[in-house]
Amino acid sequence: MVRVINFFCVALMGLTILALYHVSERTRDARLELARVNHEITRQHSDIAVLETEWQHVAAPGRIQQLAEAHLGMSDNASAQLSSFDMLPRRGDAAALNNTPLRNANAVLPANPPGATAAVSTITTPASGM
Amino acid sequence: MREAPTLYQRRIVIGAGICVIAFALVGIRLVHVSLLKGWDAGRAHAPIVARADLTDRNGELLARDLPVKDLYARPKFFADPAGAAEGLAAATGASARRLEKAFRTAKHAYVLVARQITPDDEAKVMQLGLPGLEFEPSAKRYYPDGRTAAQVTGVTDLDNNGISGLELGLQPEIHAAAARGHERGQVATSIDMRVQYILAHELEQARQTFTAKAAGGIVMDVKTGEILGMVSLPDFDPNQRGLAPGDSRRNIMAQDVYELGSVFKIFSFTMALDDHTLNLNEVFPINRDYKVGRYTIHEAERMPATLAARDVLAQSSNIGTSQIVLRSGAQVQRAFLDHMGLLKPVETDLPESARPLYPAIKNWGQIETATIGFGQGISVSPLSFVTAAAEVVNGGRRITPTFLRQNGKDRRGEQVISHETSVKMRDLLRYVVTSGSGKKADIEGYDVGGKTGSAQVPGPNGRYLPRALRTSFFAVFPAHQPRYIVYVLMDQPHGTKATAGFALAGWTAAPAAGRVIERIAPLLGVPKQSEPTRLARDTTQQQDGAQPVSASESP
Repeated sequence: MVRVINFFCVALMGLTILALYHVSERTRDARLELARVNHEITRQHSDIAVLETEWQHVAAPGRIQQLAEAHLGMSDNASAQLSSFDMLPRRGDAAALNNTPLRNANAVLPANPPGATAAVSTITTPASGM
Repeated sequence: MREAPTLYQRRIVIGAGICVIAFALVGIRLVHVSLLKGWDAGRAHAPIVARADLTDRNGELLARDLPVKDLYARPKFFADPAGAAEGLAAATGASARRLEKAFRTAKHAYVLVARQITPDDEAKVMQLGLPGLEFEPSAKRYYPDGRTAAQVTGVTDLDNNGISGLELGLQPEIHAAAARGHERGQVATSIDMRVQYILAHELEQARQTFTAKAAGGIVMDVKTGEILGMVSLPDFDPNQRGLAPGDSRRNIMAQDVYELGSVFKIFSFTMALDDHTLNLNEVFPINRDYKVGRYTIHEAERMPATLAARDVLAQSSNIGTSQIVLRSGAQVQRAFLDHMGLLKPVETDLPESARPLYPAIKNWGQIETATIGFGQGISVSPLSFVTAAAEVVNGGRRITPTFLRQNGKDRRGEQVISHETSVKMRDLLRYVVTSGSGKKADIEGYDVGGKTGSAQVPGPNGRYLPRALRTSFFAVFPAHQPRYIVYVLMDQPHGTKATAGFALAGWTAAPAAGRVIERIAPLLGVPKQSEPTRLARDTTQQQDGAQPVSASESP
């Protein structure tokens, strides 16, 4: 009986050693994989950081303005180009905007802008101008 | 009586004990491997970033650390040190002579070849096929917007330590943000890059148009104290270590002090209104020459024989202003300017600051009181001026400028002047723009208030330079409910054909400030078609242009 128990214990120990070795190996593999993934994440973060910086560089206001002026014939006459929805007349308003002229986008276009048709200037609301 | 265990029984007990110990060890190891060790096995590599990003108030990048590498060489591996030095110099831009000398006389195993080399340079180095090279990961600070905010953001040195601007001033915050967690930290500044760009663009254009030596501008929120834009020209490229010809790292808006001229009349009127020594309806005689002791104060341009108090400010009369400040006297004036924070350096997140220059108490006599009243004889930094002027228009409460985003938090402190005085000053400033020297800054719909200043420029010997002006314009909008200040300064602008040769602030600085307001107001959500102020409604048309100031010793 004692021999059986001894044999069982030794066998169990052997099996446990094997299982432990297996777990240890899997852990080592997982650790390597994790390190690789972490390294990849770090690299990707670095790449993203570089790309974000590059984007910031190419999308800088000065660069956009240069391109808009060179290729779109736009100017920086901003206050007349920007408005809010509140200023738009509603259907049925008798005297929208208190009869004040509604200024539309008025980018000054070059003489022969590519694909452009005409410059848009100040227009009046139907209630006040017609 | 129990029998003693036999030999076999003892062996069994010992064997069982060994098995138990072995199992215990295995169990401990199992727990260690599967549970405890697993937590630190996948710890992320320490990021290269040593400094957090600097962003503007909308999250746009101002400065970021980019991964680069430092290149080291082990000269003992080089068969031909001279050839290696030449090749490495060509690839990295380092000095071939320095490298060759370092390779031949190296006392240590490693020689630093170049720092912060880019991936392109790294590829060139790798193509050389040299042995004994090592790349050490490092970081280089990069400023994607280049010159636009260079003076404010400042720069770092090769060791990534801030040496100027917010890089130095916000260094503790930048390091703290970088140390928080694995993610890239950020420090949000108060700068709005859209405003910053517009300010820089308009100032550069104005500087070129009027061939000014230098120019600068500040945009500030009067309630939060946030600086939305600060420009100082000439500027520099923060991505380059050296300076190009004509560039300057000096932030003239924070580091330099100037006699700002007639914009200082704002404080004279504020003082008089707050002390109730001035009634806006009273009329002042404007003599041709006004004697103060043995000095004569005179106007640079012809003035009417009399001016109402508000027109003294609108037409920028030195004589009228002198009469007003002399009612209060030197002591009150000094105490008032001190109370407004104009007699000490302004404290901000910027490390750059300047100590104001003003007469000692014993030398602060009548003539000094009069000249300081119209902005001569006292020199303050533009940032200091803007801070005090913000207190005049923001309801009369203390404000400290900041370069950190405040998320709309009202940071106004204690009452510095009465609210009533502040409201009167807003009306007066609006009146200056509608009927005085600041007409060219009047942008339709934005209710701009402001004041011109055309100061003479002192030369090296202390005397004022002939025909040299330092012009500035202080603008607040909307004047009836102030939200933002725009301040523009131009150093020695020259008149053009379009200005009929005039280089006064009304012709140079005021239009530039107006253009800035016109462009930034829609972006900042300031509603157009603001209600005009009381004084603006009954304005009368008067002549353009500001008055340069001067006080000279009578012969």
